[in-house]
Amino acid sequence: MSAGNGQKKKASRTLIALAGSALGLPGISGKALAVTQGEAEVDYSYSLYQEEDMPREKQSGATSDTERYTIDTHQLRVVRPWGDTYDLTVDLLYETMSGASPWYVLPNPDPNQSEKPLQVMSGASGIEDTRKDVLAKVRKIYDDSAGAVSLGYSTEDDYTSVNMALEGVWELDDKQKTVTLGIGGSDDDIEPVDTHRFPGRVEHETKTSISAYAGLSMVIDAQTIVQSSVSFTRQNGFLSDPYKLAFVSGTLVQDSRPDGREQFTWLTRLRRFFPEWLGALHADYRFYDDDWGVESHTIDLGWHQNFSGQLQLIPSIRYYTQSQAYFYAPYYNAPRNDNFASSDYRLSPYGALSFRLDAVKKIGTWAFRLGWEMYDSDSDLAIKSVKVENPGLIEFSNFRISISKYF
Amino acid sequence: MGEVMKYIICVVTSVFLLTLSSGCAIKKVEAWERGDLARTEMAFEPDAQQAAYRSHVYFSKEASSGGASAGGGGCGCN
Repeated sequence: MSAGNGQKKKASRTLIALAGSALGLPGISGKALAVTQGEAEVDYSYSLYQEEDMPREKQSGATSDTERYTIDTHQLRVVRPWGDTYDLTVDLLYETMSGASPWYVLPNPDPNQSEKPLQVMSGASGIEDTRKDVLAKVRKIYDDSAGAVSLGYSTEDDYTSVNMALEGVWELDDKQKTVTLGIGGSDDDIEPVDTHRFPGRVEHETKTSISAYAGLSMVIDAQTIVQSSVSFTRQNGFLSDPYKLAFVSGTLVQDSRPDGREQFTWLTRLRRFFPEWLGALHADYRFYDDDWGVESHTIDLGWHQNFSGQLQLIPSIRYYTQSQAYFYAPYYNAPRNDNFASSDYRLSPYGALSFRLDAVKKIGTWAFRLGWEMYDSDSDLAIKSVKVENPGLIEFSNFRISISKYF
Repeated sequence: MGEVMKYIICVVTSVFLLTLSSGCAIKKVEAWERGDLARTEMAFEPDAQQAAYRSHVYFSKEASSGGASAGGGGCGCN
């Protein structure tokens, strides 16, 4: 290619990007505008996720608090325009996990404390694992629409997932509205470790998932945009947790859940800019419902405040509440007729509150971000009263640092 | 309430809210009036990498999942 052609293409990309900034709508996914070509960028981030120790008094037979999960995550993202009408995004992730995890729950031997069952954690040495994930996405941009295909692969010591998705975006009514449709699927293999030590544990299982999504975003006025979307997912295969046990009338049995699950989500998001305060309000509400009987509500509110010197502070708060799966119990006095059994705290009824603070500083073509989050889950935070709280509910903090370079 | 009925109610509510919203857009927002809408912080996900990370954390620790995208794989999250 001649230097002249190269400059022309670069100028053309710049024009498209400028036109996008002035004319486009905020995108459905990603920070790029919906149907404008992504600008070249590289982002790296490091996150430290740390769960609070499991207190000794919530455990059965423990002599001290038990250290729970710590996860170190490194992420790298590269976005690159390709010709005048394509862009390519590659996301890489590498994380290491260690610590103990809830194993099973026992009734409290003290009859006066029957509403406080006791947790047994996985072995003192805990779990060690790594996860590597790669996701590549190619988008083709047309005049008022875009199509994307993405392919992902994720692997852990005991888990492999291959997934793909197709997405289409259409702008309507002079870019007043944007319609997005997407479908995706994944094919997962589960090969639990330590099966020789735990004979009841499955050796190899599979799981598939297929999902469809439809969204509509609309410009309400020059400072307000709203998006509402629905998604439906069908999972089939092994949906139990191979490492967890349940206490059923005096016996420990493997965690056992239905081999199908249908999930429905309705998400509505509002973005409003307040010029007088140089700040933007983010307000999200999500309703979730599945055929395991879990129903949840999530409210996420954030304020993006701009300061001079290209500095931005973003305080946000998230509230989450869920009902329990129909077959869940902290422990079982008798087997269920369907033989399902799970004492996983993630299927129990509870609520959670999360406080976050992020800061973004831009210097020329660089951006630096710092983020912190504190998450606490508790049965008292549930929207409905909970008789028996699962002792495995988590509290975690998350620290994140990232750096971006724009070209 | 039947499961199907719940879904229908959600879809109908979404359509109703969006229709209502469209009624608010009395005046079309012209291209040159969209400077505020094009600001980075007005994107639905201003930081896609962080959004993907957070979504994975919540998905791993809660019973719910799903939102404004289709696809993505599972994990052996404990």
